[in-house]
Amino acid sequence: MVSQTLTLLRKPPLAFGIWLACTAALLALSGPAPAWAGTPALLLGLAGALAIGPLAGGPTRRNPLAALLPPFYSGVLAVALIQALLEIHRVPSGLIPTPLAMFQAAWADRALLLQDSWQTFVLESLSGMAVGIAIGLALAVLIVRVRFFERGLLPYMVMLASLPVPAMAPLAVAAAGTGWGSKALLVAVVTIFPTVINGVRGMQSASPLSLDLLRSYGLEGLRTFAPLRLPAALPFLFTALKIDLTLALISAIVGEFFGSPGQGLGFRIKFEVSMFNMPLVWAAILYTTVLGLALYALIVVLERRLTFWHPSMR
Amino acid sequence: MSTAAGAGTAMPLKRLIGIWPVAAVGLAMLLLWPLIAFLVNLPAAREALAQGGCTGLYACASTLNSPILPAPLQFLDGAAQMLNPLWGRSSLLFNALYTGWETLLGLLLALFVSFFTGTLLAFSRPFERATLPWIVASQNVPIIALAPVLVVLLGRFGVQGLLPKALISGYIAFFALTVGVARGLASLDPLRLDLMRSYCASPWFVYWHVRLPVALPLIMTNLKVAAAGALVGAIVAELSTVTFSGLGAMLLARYYAGDIIGLWVVMAASGLLGIALYALLSLLERVVTPWSPRH
Repeated sequence: MVSQTLTLLRKPPLAFGIWLACTAALLALSGPAPAWAGTPALLLGLAGALAIGPLAGGPTRRNPLAALLPPFYSGVLAVALIQALLEIHRVPSGLIPTPLAMFQAAWADRALLLQDSWQTFVLESLSGMAVGIAIGLALAVLIVRVRFFERGLLPYMVMLASLPVPAMAPLAVAAAGTGWGSKALLVAVVTIFPTVINGVRGMQSASPLSLDLLRSYGLEGLRTFAPLRLPAALPFLFTALKIDLTLALISAIVGEFFGSPGQGLGFRIKFEVSMFNMPLVWAAILYTTVLGLALYALIVVLERRLTFWHPSMR
Repeated sequence: MSTAAGAGTAMPLKRLIGIWPVAAVGLAMLLLWPLIAFLVNLPAAREALAQGGCTGLYACASTLNSPILPAPLQFLDGAAQMLNPLWGRSSLLFNALYTGWETLLGLLLALFVSFFTGTLLAFSRPFERATLPWIVASQNVPIIALAPVLVVLLGRFGVQGLLPKALISGYIAFFALTVGVARGLASLDPLRLDLMRSYCASPWFVYWHVRLPVALPLIMTNLKVAAAGALVGAIVAELSTVTFSGLGAMLLARYYAGDIIGLWVVMAASGLLGIALYALLSLLERVVTPWSPRH
């Protein structure tokens, strides 16, 4: 009898109903927010989370939209639960703002935050990344071509890759001023090392047989890079690009803490924390996260397009 | 036996030959350092020369109060000053150890939590589908903003000192560790699993004695990757919380004092700390997984 009920509960339409009911109940609870509702809210959250199980299970589907559904369910439920718990426990907005307050601030101050995003993402991160990746690729070609540098330079690159970035942020600002240039410099320095390490690994992954074939065509040395070594390095370079992106955002934001011309997401976070305007702080964090994820997704799409031949993509 | 002895004597020579380019590049960098410092500091040195107080352009460039890149002697002098009472509370060594301890504590916390999430990810497909995208997304959240909030929050419950910083450092390490645990636990050869089934082994036994040993090398590799991130997290946390010890606090103090030589010294110290952490974890890796091949 019990097992029969459980199987019935595992049917997707019913599970979806439970999830929807739990989410709606949580949102309804957060309106009046009575003090006794703490435990019921937690139980509702648990029930909703368990209902996601049957919704997210099932066979793997190729449809990319279907892959977005489970995180959507868990995300909406988590937002509703946090909203309800914060309202019920009367947490002051200067400590942790409710998710709804965060979304409101993100919409109301969109002009300000978009300007900050332009400063942090385009001027500082992307321009710095372009310079850093160009230098990193040049160094990688040098290391692959010249055996002496492979032995002598690569160990230093591996060592420098473990350098903690924020230790350099005050130095970059002190040396290169408070404008966006100092942050771009920081980003460029930080992105060099992962690019070199992965680039060398990738260019060396070209198979000796293919190199022999190219030699039989009369292509040797530097001329093997365009047809063979660079394409072979692409999967590794995309890995490097993902690491670079995370490092670049962190260093640009930490760099802005030490000095910025009055804009930038890092500056906004630091400034508004000191004003206890937490909804705007979390809105700035939201912008960073969403834009960072969008760039990450762009990299993944490019990776699928350009390295479709690699075994890891099939 | 004799071949082993022969290989043993051949090793040092081979190693020496392998190491000379590293030494050569290092030496070249050391020799280039004064030259680069001179070129970088040239504009400031011209000004100092015009004002008087030093003789010769090179002497001016290597005795500036706030050079962009300090000359070797200035750097060593600064390092010696910051190490002066070796075990004092303002000493570089004490603060580096403090930050290192925070990082290790953060790694330990992250390891503990990631065992739960990693196990869930490896064994429950719905859980993986519903939470993995969010775990990936959490990597892009600038944790620096969480630091002051966390300190205020935890302070209300009487938690102070190391723990808030260790939590932030653990937060950064969490992702790499979770992925390592999940992938390691899932990478079991199905043949071994069949063998265990034929022994009627309990799932608990399989987890502890088969899956975990298979996962350990990958977990240790990811622990080393996570250590670099955790160190960044610890320093960032020290930068943005009110603290009086640690490399981050030293950085902040040197920055506000306008002491660029000090900044370079602290930066070098944090680099050394990163290398020391890596070496420590490599040692741990050899102890924990003695069967995996040495690199």
